[in-house]
Amino acid sequence: MSTSRESILAAVRANQPEEVPLPTVPIYSGEASLERFTEVLRSIGGEVVQVAGPEHLESALLQLFPATYQCASTLVKATVAVDTQTPTDILEAVDLAVLQGEIGVAENGAIWLPEQNMLNRALPFITQHLVLVLDQRNLVATMHEAYAQLPSAGGYGVFVAGPSKTADIEQSLVIGAHGARSLVVLVY
Amino acid sequence: MNHSHPELAEQFVKDAERTTWHDETLWFVRQKRDRSIYAIPEFQELRELASQIKNHTLSRLHTYLTQFEEAARANGVQVHWAANAEEHNAIVLNILRKHGAERIVKSKSMLTEECHLNPYLLQHGIQVVDTDLGERIIQFRNEPPSHVVLPAIHLKKEDVGETFHLHLGTLKGEKDPQTLTEAARLHLRTKFVSGQVAISGVNFAVAETGSVVVCTNEGNADLGVTLAKVHIACMGIEKLIPRLTDLGVFTRLLARSATGQPVTTYTSHYTKPGPGKEMHIVIVDNGRTKQLGRPDFRASLKCIRCGACMNTCPVYRRSGGHSYDFTIPGPIGAILSPNIDMHKHKSLPFASTLCGSCTDVCPVKIDIHTQLYKWRQVIGENNELPASKKWSMKLLSRVLSSPGVYGWGGKVARESLRLLPHGFTHAKALNPWAKAREMPAPPKQSFREWYEQQNSNGKA
Ligand code: SF4
Repeated sequence: MSTSRESILAAVRANQPEEVPLPTVPIYSGEASLERFTEVLRSIGGEVVQVAGPEHLESALLQLFPATYQCASTLVKATVAVDTQTPTDILEAVDLAVLQGEIGVAENGAIWLPEQNMLNRALPFITQHLVLVLDQRNLVATMHEAYAQLPSAGGYGVFVAGPSKTADIEQSLVIGAHGARSLVVLVY
Repeated sequence: MNHSHPELAEQFVKDAERTTWHDETLWFVRQKRDRSIYAIPEFQELRELASQIKNHTLSRLHTYLTQFEEAARANGVQVHWAANAEEHNAIVLNILRKHGAERIVKSKSMLTEECHLNPYLLQHGIQVVDTDLGERIIQFRNEPPSHVVLPAIHLKKEDVGETFHLHLGTLKGEKDPQTLTEAARLHLRTKFVSGQVAISGVNFAVAETGSVVVCTNEGNADLGVTLAKVHIACMGIEKLIPRLTDLGVFTRLLARSATGQPVTTYTSHYTKPGPGKEMHIVIVDNGRTKQLGRPDFRASLKCIRCGACMNTCPVYRRSGGHSYDFTIPGPIGAILSPNIDMHKHKSLPFASTLCGSCTDVCPVKIDIHTQLYKWRQVIGENNELPASKKWSMKLLSRVLSSPGVYGWGGKVARESLRLLPHGFTHAKALNPWAKAREMPAPPKQSFREWYEQQNSNGKA
């Protein structure tokens, strides 16, 4: 249907160089400890709080965030119900989202959050504060190890490393640009 | 209209304090990059792998483009192809029209800058809001970005304060980055929630899965895209990588090379449209296949737009991004621009010291300084040499090919430097090099004279 498609592909075919091999990428490993993960995440503005087990999430949250917060979650008692069809004005009022993270990367503090753990694709970004819950057994050392564990990218998925930030004004670091103003990782 | 790099740079360096500040700010980013890469023992191996993956992808680009298209279509994504900027813009407008969209939010994309999408949409009655903070600032000021990663790096906080005072009603004289960012946050949130269509760039396109990956720190792309009904992702054909696992290499290199962060805050993988939503990908050529056909310059298509070559370049740091008068400034822009318009951008490959620092920091190992050198040859062969280079180069090549003339010339130069008045040796018209520099004190003897003397002394 598109002639540009044909002409671009023809030009690519005519101009691409002789084939060179695709390298095999080793799965570089490294330190996957909770200490390393905590240190790196703190250095990029996030916080790590250890809890004894999943059953202690509620009490840990209560200490961190006052009960008046509008909370959306599948893991703890929610005050706002959110699903894929939730209208924007309700999403906008969410103060706190508590979601399950799948894999934590010690080297850079990133946490894999797949679509099925988000309730709504916009939630991790529109909420004022984000809490990700992580089982320490799911810590890996590097991004290579993380990708090796992902079955696919899913419909949508994001690595989150810290709170939203910017340094666009004279390189001064400001936390809380558009997305969540804080990121706390509750590790058990 | 058509200004050369030296002319435009002259404007920038007039403000000596600002030049120094710009230089130091970028050098600070370069140092952060250094510290960050030392934390990874295999960093150099990763650069090599990234380079090889990109080389391979370019060598089979035809296959990967088709594979990517097929996978994306299977995911329910609509794929479009644009041969040039006009077609890209028309495709985007067409999608907007279909949805009756009048307000769109856009996250940072050098490609849409390259295609001049904003003015085009504006002409067609569509309100475009750039949502990256730096982009929003320069959009208010009606300026192009001056850096690929730090679009407003040329501005001081006082400038931003003044801009926000005018456009967002912040207090006059307010220059606290925290306060200014908060004002932008509140302002932009109203735009995000009312944006009907979101346009994003693409950092990586994965052939295997048909996904596009977008890396940001602010979360603006994600907020825009996930709230809008329609997502349009615009990408150049060179953004492809073969496999999902290749992202392990590139995500480790990109942010560390760019700003010294271990990774960007958000690395988003968009594969399927959200429930009840639409996703489009526009694949753009706009001169890239031409560059692919130039063996000397095709490696420039490996660029992942980290900006490291800009942060390290002594010329970019002191002359500012706007002096390049091209969407992508700095060393890599100086390679990409003559491909698009050699005549207009003929001075850019000369805006470099050929010190090789750009090549040293490039995470995908593009031989940037060699390509700059090669462009200089091509520009010379095509009779496009900037006037000041032309006669001096010709003279130089004659002198260098004749040892007698070279020796005599050196002697004359040494003598004249000593004898001629300063006002003559430093006359701007005659010696642009001495504009901001002192000439070195001429030695009494040349090396050759000294060497001959030593030899005859030894023999005696
Ligand atoms: S040429 Fe290399 S260093 Fe420069 S922006 Fe591109 S990837 Fe980064």
